[in-house]
Amino acid sequence: MRLSVAAAISHGRVYRRFGLSPRSRLDLLRNLVTALVRYERIETPWARADEMRGYAERLIDYAKRGDKDERAMRMADFWLTEKDLVHKLFKVLAPRFQPHPGSYTRLLQIPNRDGLDRAKMAVIELKGNPLPPLVRPRRDSDKTLLNQLLKGYRQDAQRAAAA
Amino acid sequence: RVSSDGKPPKFQPPPKPVIIDRKTQKEERRFLSPEFIPPRGRTAPLKYYIERKDMIQRRKVFNIPEFYVGHVLAVTTADPYASDKSKRFVGICIQRGGKGLGATFVLRNVIEDQGVEICYELYSPRIQAIEVLKLEKRLDENLMYLRDALPEYSTFDVNMKPVPRMDHEEIPVNKLQVRMKPKPWSKRWERPKYNIKGIKFELPEHKMKAAQKWSQPWLEFDMLREYDTSKIEAKIWKELSEELEK
Repeated sequence: MRLSVAAAISHGRVYRRFGLSPRSRLDLLRNLVTALVRYERIETPWARADEMRGYAERLIDYAKRGDKDERAMRMADFWLTEKDLVHKLFKVLAPRFQPHPGSYTRLLQIPNRDGLDRAKMAVIELKGNPLPPLVRPRRDSDKTLLNQLLKGYRQDAQRAAAA
Repeated sequence: RVSSDGKPPKFQPPPKPVIIDRKTQKEERRFLSPEFIPPRGRTAPLKYYIERKDMIQRRKVFNIPEFYVGHVLAVTTADPYASDKSKRFVGICIQRGGKGLGATFVLRNVIEDQGVEICYELYSPRIQAIEVLKLEKRLDENLMYLRDALPEYSTFDVNMKPVPRMDHEEIPVNKLQVRMKPKPWSKRWERPKYNIKGIKFELPEHKMKAAQKWSQPWLEFDMLREYDTSKIEAKIWKELSEELEK
């Protein structure tokens, strides 16, 4: 007999459950955010990276307010466990993202973990980091139909301009 | 005064009076009724836009004054069974809930030693008049604890005269600390989740300390729970003022 259906339904819940309690969930995400700010590119299970993304971007929005702001400093103090990263956040990352209005991180999925759990893994990185790029934007090959037609059009236009 | 040429001194006109236009100063304080602000969620904005149009339509016909929790209001509703076909109820507003057309407010009063709370819908066509009798904000947004407070804090004279408004500037905040009846209360108001500043707790120290066990200090740092309404409010305020001026 079904004792409680309500326990299994989670309509409209946006926050995933991690760790042992809500406090431990925030601690977990805090460690990940600290690692992201330190190394600028980390590899974690996809669910944790997705959850952490929102917090990392809001932290950078707070940092953009400047380090004179009391609230921004308290947030940075809570979210970054290694205190030398507070300086990096305000002096390096905030000016780097000042021109952008939002979306400072990139989330890419990678093959599943090699261990027994085969977890869905992802790489989360801050844009504009000094490491070599993960994805190289490739142009379409010259042999496709559309590209051949465009090439022909360009040649016709050049011939008409020369004549 | 001694004149320079022996002629009478030149007429000095009095300094021009500085006219402080009260109307322009009033516009500096903008009050957007909380039911206009759409809640966070996945609903399409079209629903809120349509509701706002209906709300503005109603406001053009019937004046809903600006009021907060803690104001004393008198509401006249239509009632088919009353001799005058209308009913008047005076009370302190303890809660404003709901968004959109279903926005409600609860008025509380103690009549003949019986506490009475009535929940009115702001946009209901049965409401004929809302008058603000006393303007004062309290320390909290929700005064449900008045149910467990001594009845003297909830009694208001039914034939109260409206208190005249001094300035068009600030609404005074009443920092009254309310005294409670002995426990048990309807809710454990001493717990930090209610965050009540308007009660004078006369509980022993160890009970107050035990209540702090339920505090969640990490909630303050949970950034994704914050809902920043400043831009939404600015947009809705512009829309409202444009519509109401027509």
